[in-house]
Amino acid sequence: MHPHSLLSILALVTSVALAPAHAAGVTVTVTDKGGQVVTGAAVLLEPASGRAGVKPLAPVEVSQAKRQFNPRVTILTVGTAVNFPNFDTVRHHVFSDSPTKKFDIKLYAGTPAKPVVFDKAGIVDMGCNIHDAMAAWIVVSDTPWYGVSGNDGTVAIDNLPAGNYRLRVWHPAMDYNTEMPPVPVTLGASDLKLGSRLPVSTSP
Amino acid sequence: MSSPHSGFVSHSVPEPADPSAPKGVARWMNRSLATRLIMMVLGLLLLLQLFSFGAIRLSLQNQARDVLPKQLDTADHVLEFVLQKGFDQLTSKANLVANDTAFKEVAAGEVKPEDIETVKSAMENFGDRVGARSVALLDPQFRLIAFTGEPGAKLTARFPDLAARLKTALADKKSAVALVLMGGRLHQLVLAPMKSAETTKKFILMIVPLEDSIIKESRNLSEHHFTLLVRTQGEGGWAVAMSSLPKAQALALSAVAWAPTTLAAGAIYEQGADGEMLAVRTSSLNQMVSEGWPAGAGPAGGTEVLALLTASIDEATRLKSDLQLALLVITIVGFVGFSVVSIYTARRVTTPLRDLTQAAERLGAGDLITPMRRMRRIDEIGILAVAFERMRVNVADKQQEIEKLAYWDSLTGLPNRVQFSQAVAAAIEHAQAEGRGSVAVIMLDLDRFKHVNDVLGYRLGDLLLASLAGRLKEHGVRGQDMVARLSGDEFAVLLHHGDSTTAQAVAARISHSFEVPIELEEHTVDMGAGIGMACWPDHANDAETLLSRAEVAMYTAKRRAAGPMMYDASIDASSAQTLSLLSELRHAVDHGELRLFLQPKLGLADGAVVGAETLVRWMHPTRGMVPPMEFIPFAEQTGYIRKLTVWIFEEAARHWTALNAEGHALTLSVNLSTRDLLDQDLPQKFASMLALHAVPASAFCLEITESAIMDDPQRALQTLERLSAEGFKLSIDDFGTGYSSLAYLKRLPVNELKIDKSFVMSMETDVDDRKIVRSTIDLAHNLGLTVVAEGVENAKIWDLLRELDCDHAQGYHMGRPMPASDFARWAASWNGRRSGSSSPDASASAAAVGAVLH
Repeated sequence: MHPHSLLSILALVTSVALAPAHAAGVTVTVTDKGGQVVTGAAVLLEPASGRAGVKPLAPVEVSQAKRQFNPRVTILTVGTAVNFPNFDTVRHHVFSDSPTKKFDIKLYAGTPAKPVVFDKAGIVDMGCNIHDAMAAWIVVSDTPWYGVSGNDGTVAIDNLPAGNYRLRVWHPAMDYNTEMPPVPVTLGASDLKLGSRLPVSTSP
Repeated sequence: MSSPHSGFVSHSVPEPADPSAPKGVARWMNRSLATRLIMMVLGLLLLLQLFSFGAIRLSLQNQARDVLPKQLDTADHVLEFVLQKGFDQLTSKANLVANDTAFKEVAAGEVKPEDIETVKSAMENFGDRVGARSVALLDPQFRLIAFTGEPGAKLTARFPDLAARLKTALADKKSAVALVLMGGRLHQLVLAPMKSAETTKKFILMIVPLEDSIIKESRNLSEHHFTLLVRTQGEGGWAVAMSSLPKAQALALSAVAWAPTTLAAGAIYEQGADGEMLAVRTSSLNQMVSEGWPAGAGPAGGTEVLALLTASIDEATRLKSDLQLALLVITIVGFVGFSVVSIYTARRVTTPLRDLTQAAERLGAGDLITPMRRMRRIDEIGILAVAFERMRVNVADKQQEIEKLAYWDSLTGLPNRVQFSQAVAAAIEHAQAEGRGSVAVIMLDLDRFKHVNDVLGYRLGDLLLASLAGRLKEHGVRGQDMVARLSGDEFAVLLHHGDSTTAQAVAARISHSFEVPIELEEHTVDMGAGIGMACWPDHANDAETLLSRAEVAMYTAKRRAAGPMMYDASIDASSAQTLSLLSELRHAVDHGELRLFLQPKLGLADGAVVGAETLVRWMHPTRGMVPPMEFIPFAEQTGYIRKLTVWIFEEAARHWTALNAEGHALTLSVNLSTRDLLDQDLPQKFASMLALHAVPASAFCLEITESAIMDDPQRALQTLERLSAEGFKLSIDDFGTGYSSLAYLKRLPVNELKIDKSFVMSMETDVDDRKIVRSTIDLAHNLGLTVVAEGVENAKIWDLLRELDCDHAQGYHMGRPMPASDFARWAASWNGRRSGSSSPDASASAAAVGAVLH
């Protein structure tokens, strides 16, 4: 981990540690190596011990249009089903070789009949077999506290009971199978503002 | 456009310095030996360096000639390798794509119209993987199923027969790569079959731009340059597709009208490009490409590619900078070294040369004492110095010898005239400087020294001179005084502080010393000398005049047979007056101022006019009549008398002819001087004048004084004998005054004696003189000579002479000298008077004459 980012996170954690121990919100701002806010970064808060327990979400859609996946980064809970509707005139062949979830939807047009269920926590790397430029990722979470950074690079997570957590951050620009080292976060009654600086550059 | 031409151009070696250098430089270079030596050495060095430089260049060129083709061969292999590797990679990539599962999934099966877009998007996708700008899917019959990209459209437009071409090209190949020019850019066309279980298989055709990287890679592998030129067949000029050369050079190469079909494979061409000379080799790539598809095979529209491999000849033949530096350093070091050595050498040669030059100049200026330097050197300089030294010593010796000859008389060991003159001059200068004192010169001339020589021989003559020298030194010299021998029998004494008294005393001593006879072996010789003296400043202002004055005095003394004589202006025949006299006398002869006078000579027996003595008178235009005594002695001294004698003789001859015509048969007497007698040409001169005036020699009687004969009796006798032989009568003049011996007189061929007038004039009163006259007459008659008496001044003398039986008489009593023109008249009147008182006998007639005379 970048010593700078660690330092800054610790500083923030320390500053909120004195707050009362109620349910509170955590806002994480993700920046890249150059300090630019980063869109599409997945942010998760895991309890320091034990499991929080999650429920599958309602089916989620990752579509293909103009030979691009949309959205490129999707975060969902374990057991959630995903549909891959194709809105292009050309056919696509969506597949994943990731250990978290292997699947292969051969050339198709329209929406495949069966959605794909992501039943294991982890990151799934997906592509189109005939369009190398197409890429999308699904982050399967086993904690209820997560989010994907928007255009402002922030993820806001509310209703977190006070306690100890691990903050995990991941972005597609990072090397395959690599994420930011987990950062312990102790949450009291008051909201926390956290920052995470990626060791990579995300600007094109 | 220029044409490629084969072979290397030989680079000319830089010329040595221009030989026609300006004249000023040449002169400067020729000025000094040292400069020339240094210039020559440095010039040679420079020439040598230039030659080395040229040789290195030549060797580099030869090496380049050898090496460049090989290197370019290698370069060709490199290019071929790189290109082939690119082709191979492309082919394998194309094959990978063609057989990619995903691609096959899309394109292998039947392609429905609704699938075309998916196929195209897949082809674009996979085409991007290999960098293709265009991908086409072909059916088993090479018909186009789908294509992407613009070049694909062009391709199909350009090659309507694409299918046929591909079929041919792939006849025995799995895939093929070809180069094709599209949009001004070279592209690789690669065809890959899609492997399939089906019997019919599809192909994909990719159009991939040929990247510059092949050139860069080739360039990395080989140090040479690569250029690809392209043109569309039949469309004229070449264009540069890509090149590792600078743009300008590449353009220059493209401007050449390369004709690939005529290029020799592997040949090297030399081509100038942008100021650089390049060796160009065409590549086998052309072959490679033309084998492929579609370039070269098709009709119009095919692409021609020409790969050129180039190496700079200039670069190859250029001297490496470190070698250049080395050469430069060698040249500079050599230049400095040689300069130092040659300057040192030149100095070693020229410094002694300058020394020797100075030494030679010293010798030239007369310094014979300073010895040469550098004689110890053993080289040529040393030899030269020794030679100079020898010359110096020799010249010094010679100089000494010459000085001795110049200043000393070798016979007597006395100083000679030159030294004497200098000594006199020095003495005068010294006296002048002191402002007082005087200088005296005594000059002696021996009497009859010639006689001594003739009688006793020259050896004794020399002994006599040496002995006299000793005697003079003994008697004449005090301290620094000098005795010198001026010439044959002339001596001189210089008295440094001598006034006239001293001079006279010394002269007297010398004169006295002559009284003692000189003993020469068994002979005893009596010697006399004329001694003259002159003193400075009494008689002369300078040494030269002083000497000449002393000489004048000496000759006077000699003539007068007197003792030592001090100079006096009155005796000087060479005084300024007499000098002008000589020129006036010359003038007189040339301008007819001289007159011939005649004095009658009468027969004592009958008073008849028998002859006349010729005399000369000078009618000076301003001075009037100049008496003979004023110019005859002077003429004798100066030798001008000879001219006068000749003049008189000729005048006499003229007048004799006239007188003879009037019936006067006379004998004319002409006086000869010593100088005349010594003149060997005199008889000849007389003879020619006799011939000229048709006068017989017998018409003349030549009168000679005794002293004239005795000065040089031998020669006088010779002359007289010749004159006598020619028929002249000869007479001894002034007989009785000299010392001539009768024995000698007897040997002379004379006809007449002329008794000196001193005896005749006084015979009237002096009995002794009368006796002398009588005995002379008797003596003469006994010897068969006629006797003439001079100085007959009265009738009594006439009578006395008649009594003494004298033959002829001459004197004022009968006739004074008269102008020759008057003589005929006088003779007529005399004869008239004589015949008027004629008597029957001789005595009567003589008496009548006497009467006339009285």
